[in-house]
Amino acid sequence: MNRTARHGSTLVVLALLFLLPVVVLVLVSLAPGWRFPDVWPAAFSLRGVDFFIRHHEKILMALASSFGFSLLTVAATLFMCLLPAAVFARHRFPGKTLLEGLLLTPALVPPMTFAMGLHFIFIKVSLADTIPGVVLILAMFSYPYMFRALVAGFQTMGEDYRICARNLGASPADILFRVEFPLLVPSIIAGGSVVFLVAFSEYFLVFLIGGGSVPSFTGTLFPLLSSSNRSLAAILTLIFLFLPVLLFVVMDISLMRAYRRKGMMSA
Amino acid sequence: MSWISKPNKTTRPIRLMLGLSPLLLPYLVLFCGGAVLTACQSFGVLTPLPHAGGVLDAYTTLLRDASFFASFGFSLWVATASAFLAVAAGAFLAYRVWRLPGRLAPLSLVYKIPLILPHIAVAFLVLIFWSRSGVIASVAHSLGLIREMHEFPNILYSGWGLGMILAYTLKGAPFAMLLALALLARFDIRQIQTAAMLGASGIRIFFTIVLPRLAPALHTGFIILFLYSFGAFDIPYILSESRPGMLSIHVYNIYFKHDLARRPEAMAILTLMFAFAVVFIIAYSRAVSRLENGVRKL
Repeated sequence: MNRTARHGSTLVVLALLFLLPVVVLVLVSLAPGWRFPDVWPAAFSLRGVDFFIRHHEKILMALASSFGFSLLTVAATLFMCLLPAAVFARHRFPGKTLLEGLLLTPALVPPMTFAMGLHFIFIKVSLADTIPGVVLILAMFSYPYMFRALVAGFQTMGEDYRICARNLGASPADILFRVEFPLLVPSIIAGGSVVFLVAFSEYFLVFLIGGGSVPSFTGTLFPLLSSSNRSLAAILTLIFLFLPVLLFVVMDISLMRAYRRKGMMSA
Repeated sequence: MSWISKPNKTTRPIRLMLGLSPLLLPYLVLFCGGAVLTACQSFGVLTPLPHAGGVLDAYTTLLRDASFFASFGFSLWVATASAFLAVAAGAFLAYRVWRLPGRLAPLSLVYKIPLILPHIAVAFLVLIFWSRSGVIASVAHSLGLIREMHEFPNILYSGWGLGMILAYTLKGAPFAMLLALALLARFDIRQIQTAAMLGASGIRIFFTIVLPRLAPALHTGFIILFLYSFGAFDIPYILSESRPGMLSIHVYNIYFKHDLARRPEAMAILTLMFAFAVVFIIAYSRAVSRLENGVRKL
């Protein structure tokens, strides 16, 4: 087969599957009245945008809340996994393979199955309808991504930096925070991005544990999806797409700058 | 105390436990504890209302209920179909993306879009595209394939869960691609060139050289995607048809829409789902490792 045609068809398929939906979302957000059988909207209007501007306070509040509890979830998973990942990367002990398998299961079994059991206790200990409660539940099934990234990070780092720092007289806390932590940042970002996305896009568990009290962006989007206000739903979906992308790009650039400043990367 | 540590030395159990505790404690209390609480409530213990009947009442009710089995079978079908399609599409697309020349490779990053979109947004996209008044129907109309809206096949309400399968596949294929591309990054292209020089066709290269190498990533992807589709709530809540419903919707209805007396029933379904997931993980990993033992490693 002709090579150019093959590569071209690959890109066309990718664009049809993954890019076309975004284009259609942009059209839906600008054309609330777009209906069958028009392939291209008959008229454009800013009604959806207008609606968004009028309700921007409530929407931005929900967005900020989602952003906040997602970042807290990343922090919680980092706290949970940092030391255990070091142990897993460096030590051999009986039952390690089994324990690793067990520790990865929360990402696999349906989170409903343990979250709904916990719900009752969360109500009793007043964790239901609070941000800490939501963060705990989200962290509980997203931490395996952080854990795997950190174990891999510790393994690539090896033991040399730590031994060297210790020989130069660094305390264990110094070693962890001033030597190892900066070297782990790429792994933390890799794992953290997945954890962030899982937390940011979850609907049901935030609704279950957060009740109505913890506003979330998914919770705001959800009722709009099946309503007649498709434009607003499309606008919110687009925000959903571009905000994390923006976050990742900013993080990537600042990380690259920081490394270059420290001379850890060839310019 | 030695001042040079040897890698992989055996450490005293207490220090080991201390190092693992930030993860082990939440794991035992929240994950295991949560699962145990779900099971307890399915037996009528610790329920909001005192449970009057026997310990296994909820289970006997379920086992007599044909709609439970219908839901279970339906969930299995949706999960199997969507995970298989996502993994197959993901493997194929990953291979094609990997073969792209360097200057075109950045364009292929669009595949990450559905990874970022939440499940409910992907369900929304399926509604926009595949409903009878959707984009695909409009395109079919302008091509002259259909004249009226109702001539377009009723994909979203066919009774086969096709809408959910489409949504899970769209969301899952990029995930399978991500896993496959990570393996392909370390794959030696000369193997493919040699095979091509020896006269292997493109299809043969894909199935006999590339696919076996991708197998570990694809198996992992299948387990993750299968269990997610099996037990998740978000997509079915938007795209499910009334009957048979997914198990998660069944649980939701009993939990929120019926009186508290039926709480054990919801919990019994969740307990069975949990048990099924665990059995599935073990059985699938065993089957894969047995299969791979019989395969010649390059």
